[in-house]
Amino acid sequence: MKVDRRSFLGLGLGAVAGIAVSPVGIKLTDDSSIWTQNWPWTPVPVDGEVSYESSVCSLCPGSCGISVRKIGDRPVKIEGLAGHPINDGGACLHGIAGLQYLYDPSRVKTPLKKNGNTFEAISWEDAISLVAAKLADIRNSNAPERLAGIMDKDLGSVSALFKRFFNTFGSPNIYTLPTLESNLQATAATVHGKGQTIAFDLENADFVLSFGAGLIEGWGSPVNGFKANASRKERHAKLYQIEPRLSNTAANADKWIPVKPGTEADLALAMCAVILKKKLFDSKAVANFKGGVNKLNALLQKTYAPSKMAETTGVKSSDIDTIATLFAKAKMPVAVFGKGRGDGAQSLKELVAVHTLNCLVGNINKKGGAFVQPETAYLEFPAESMDSIATDGLTKAKAGRYAHQVFEKINAASQPVVEALFVYNANPCYTLHGADNIKKALGKIPFVVSFSSFLDETAKQADIILPIHTFVERLEDVPSCAGLAKSVVGLTKPVSPPIFDTKNPGDAIILIAKALEGDIAQSFEWDSYDDCLESVTPGIWDDLSEEGVAVISEGIPTGSVAVNVSFLADNPATVQAQGDDSLTLIPIDNMRLPSAGTAASPFAVKTVSDTILKGTDSVVEINPLTARGLEDRGYATLTTPMGTARVRVNLNEGMMPGVIGMVEGLGHDFDNKYVSNKGTNINDLIGPVIESGSGLDAAFGIKAKISKA
Amino acid sequence: MSEIENKTENGSTESAGERTAGDTKDDKGLGLGVIFFIVAFVVCFLSGTLLFPKLLYSKREQPFNFDHKLHVGEAGDCDSCHYLREDGSFVGIPKLATCLDCHSEEPMGETEDEAIFAEEYVSKEKEVPWFIYSRQPDCVFFSHAAHTQSGGMDCVTCHGPIGESTSSKPYQENRITGYSRDIWGENIWGFKKNSWDRMKMDDCAECHKQETGHQGYCFQCHK
Amino acid sequence: MKQENNKAHKFGMVIDLDKCTGCGSCMVSCMSENNVPFKEDESNKKDSITWMRVYKITNGKSFPDTEIVYLPRPCQHCGGKGDHGHSPCVSVCPATATDYGYDTGIVSQIYTRCFGCRYCMGACPYHARYFNWWDPKWPEGMENYLSPNVSPRMRGVVEKCSFCYHRYQAARDKAYVDGRDDIEEQEYQTACTTACPAGAIVFGDLNNPAHAVHQIVKPDPHPDPRNKHIVGKSRNPNVFRLLERLGTNPKVYYLSEREWVRKAGDNYLEGEWDEIKNHHGSSSHD
Repeated sequence: MKVDRRSFLGLGLGAVAGIAVSPVGIKLTDDSSIWTQNWPWTPVPVDGEVSYESSVCSLCPGSCGISVRKIGDRPVKIEGLAGHPINDGGACLHGIAGLQYLYDPSRVKTPLKKNGNTFEAISWEDAISLVAAKLADIRNSNAPERLAGIMDKDLGSVSALFKRFFNTFGSPNIYTLPTLESNLQATAATVHGKGQTIAFDLENADFVLSFGAGLIEGWGSPVNGFKANASRKERHAKLYQIEPRLSNTAANADKWIPVKPGTEADLALAMCAVILKKKLFDSKAVANFKGGVNKLNALLQKTYAPSKMAETTGVKSSDIDTIATLFAKAKMPVAVFGKGRGDGAQSLKELVAVHTLNCLVGNINKKGGAFVQPETAYLEFPAESMDSIATDGLTKAKAGRYAHQVFEKINAASQPVVEALFVYNANPCYTLHGADNIKKALGKIPFVVSFSSFLDETAKQADIILPIHTFVERLEDVPSCAGLAKSVVGLTKPVSPPIFDTKNPGDAIILIAKALEGDIAQSFEWDSYDDCLESVTPGIWDDLSEEGVAVISEGIPTGSVAVNVSFLADNPATVQAQGDDSLTLIPIDNMRLPSAGTAASPFAVKTVSDTILKGTDSVVEINPLTARGLEDRGYATLTTPMGTARVRVNLNEGMMPGVIGMVEGLGHDFDNKYVSNKGTNINDLIGPVIESGSGLDAAFGIKAKISKA
Repeated sequence: MSEIENKTENGSTESAGERTAGDTKDDKGLGLGVIFFIVAFVVCFLSGTLLFPKLLYSKREQPFNFDHKLHVGEAGDCDSCHYLREDGSFVGIPKLATCLDCHSEEPMGETEDEAIFAEEYVSKEKEVPWFIYSRQPDCVFFSHAAHTQSGGMDCVTCHGPIGESTSSKPYQENRITGYSRDIWGENIWGFKKNSWDRMKMDDCAECHKQETGHQGYCFQCHK
Repeated sequence: MKQENNKAHKFGMVIDLDKCTGCGSCMVSCMSENNVPFKEDESNKKDSITWMRVYKITNGKSFPDTEIVYLPRPCQHCGGKGDHGHSPCVSVCPATATDYGYDTGIVSQIYTRCFGCRYCMGACPYHARYFNWWDPKWPEGMENYLSPNVSPRMRGVVEKCSFCYHRYQAARDKAYVDGRDDIEEQEYQTACTTACPAGAIVFGDLNNPAHAVHQIVKPDPHPDPRNKHIVGKSRNPNVFRLLERLGTNPKVYYLSEREWVRKAGDNYLEGEWDEIKNHHGSSSHD
């Protein structure tokens, strides 16, 4: 018997046939298909019991109520909280994407100390003692005013703790970055007197005359703005939008009135002139004007008559007349100010001029009008314990009226003006005009302490970074602000345990105060920020802790309000854009990109249109008439007195000829590839222009030129 | 004459000779081939049927034995532990907290398994990492409420008489897919005797077709 | 075994384009609800996965007469010609990975069953389907926020809006344990609907006259006399559907008082629009 080729063939065929009729084939086919459908690297979210926790979002001044859906201990979704007095269910995209901030690649995971060009991780104990030692040195040299501070806002108990710290330390140099609320307070202070703020009853007004306020682009409390706008449609109330660009608000308005950038104040005064000339004002209201309106009227008729302002503003004199008349004759008119989001650079002349329209037609503290009310006060801190260094320090002059001037002073001086700087929840190296100069100033400050959740542009300049909880991880009172007609305090709750070695900013400042000992420590005797919050909110803590929200006031404020228009009657100069070129570059506020505070989330950046951001390039909007030689989507070089940027072009009929629009909120430069290194930061291209009289940076834009790249 | 024939004649005689030899031994060779075929067929078929499942599945023991019968006797029906939450979702394997509702009395450790439970998990506050025989891929959506509440089905229909078991059988994990052998079924051919013998999509569809008249739409069972 | 209910739903949506502000809440709410991934560069909109996408539309006029409207576009959940369930995408799927739910009107799918031929993407007139060119990747730790209600997809499969079907399932589960045989209107709302700060999106059962969506749309029960393939045309003169004359019978309706916006919902030859603009369902010809 010889084993030959055929035998082997038989063997092979037999094996194949045997396997083929065995279950191996069918089973392996099934298993391999299941295997290819369940790659081990595709995450499988863990299931568990669903629960909902209510809290408050503090990403922006909106102070919306949120409902956090959790699976077991794990938050998986943020949604608007139904029944909340501010947003009643709706939510904006940034709040909804809030959980992305928890795991943001640029989170500061542990206290950091600058070591050359890099950071090294240190313990909280070491970080606090390093900060305390430096601060003790400053105090020992009897110059406590050389500690400066910058916060995002001056509201709520954490800001109050920072201010308390500066008081007991002895430094008057604590500043906030410009916000809509600070601009409203400045306006109220000029027209009605200090300690008050202005709100707008947009939910009831029947004629809204908006001077560039992005009522549906993040102005004020955004979700509340969306709701008011939607209800305006149902109430058939009118919205007239005045701005150089067909913004979403302008597109949604009943009428869009294109105006040359930076001439809104002139237009508002021309409308005042019409109302005064045609005697359309409310005589009872005008009787409240301190010193009457004669001086103002004389100035307006002489200098701001519609016929004269038509050329300046680009609005036809007949249109100025018509709109002013419509406004004055409306039942519940309101004029709204604060271009874009109302934060950032604003001209006090413009704010006051627009608000004067409200004062003239007598809608102050009337339904659908402008509410002048005291600033929200609900915090009751125990008396501060001050030593002599603190008392002396507080008598010294501030280094500047606003943060901007402090930085200018630092850059100009050869000796250190500021020895140490605290930055809390603010990113001045990104959000202030002439961002490069701010970075330079921070570089000149010997000791910068950043209280930040993220390693952002400003934190990168710091010597010590104290990592703080995100709003998802912390307890905090969040008072409403920013033009809301009702005053509400919400409670942000830790819906997630801290992901990293972070602390509540309140706890961080309490620890520093305790480390400094003496009177400062005595002023911070709480065991923790949580204890502090409960003890300083005695009137509303029960509501806050049980309901998550406390309504301080709602409805129409009562009482008459004094009006003083002497600021305008002195005819302050209108701010001009820096530079000589023929085009004007203006910033565009886009709802999908936050411009101040925390940068956008990956989800928010994902929603940004490719006519705003393409690849790593900012896209600028320009009218085809102005864009001679430029191609749609083509590259161009944009040059301003402050710098140059390579951009792409979007030929846009919604842009006034002569104007270039560039979105705010791009061009971040930190370690988060989903958000950073995309486009240009417009604040690098625009320099500050200080308004004489107010001291505000009022640069509405800058002169620019653009050419094919 | 073709080139091939030329080659045969002029080329290697060996190859020509072999062919001739092959031809002459044709019958015998085929006979051997058939034997080889049969042997190989039988060996491969049997290994594909008997050995293959042993290779395909790895056996893993549960963290400790769980006596379902005892628990059913003490605690009551399946839904004492495997209950529906108020929102209609299903708790699945109970968490440690649910176990502690009963296992709170000291001392714990009447049986060897309870002792392991007390030492390794209760005192360390650690969840028991049970292997789940009925675990389905993530893309599967299954509503217990729809089947037990609305459909009025018994647990046994899909899960079999597990409530009568006194010990935990080893978990046989498919080395390719990572899922339990119970999904495909004990029978490697995929044949089933009882409704609970298999948990594949076809089994769901079969019952759906029978009971609702339609095998269902994608999202009904997939997420 | 009893059936939970025998009434067929027809879930649909109407979006008020006059209220929509283009804020993007719906897009982000959808992405975080449905475990939609993101990547470094999302500015190439052809490979950017957004089940809900907000388009910007202009009237094409020059300054200062130009106008803008934003149009949110989820999956239209087409009923296909005659509303028989032959949606464009379902008809072409060789894997039976997508089908039409006759009990809900929702076009459903099995991601893992899809083998990525992308026929459905070619067939969809609304660009509502997206292909996963890459495996999803979340920054370290971020996968902790993923929801267990929607399975994350993998490279090589197509995905799209599901009308948040898992919310429908959850609502039904709740109804089962409560012993109810149907769900309430407010129990099942999509993530985009609840997120919209302007209240521009209304969602519900088009078959149920008590639901807001039905009351706004007033769907015509009879086929369009001009084109028998069109079913459920709105009898509200301000309501339209996208590319309605294709006969795809979408369940997403749009509402606008502006004529140019309604006209932008389809492509019209010269004169066609004037002929058709006052035609609102078969009843207008009665």
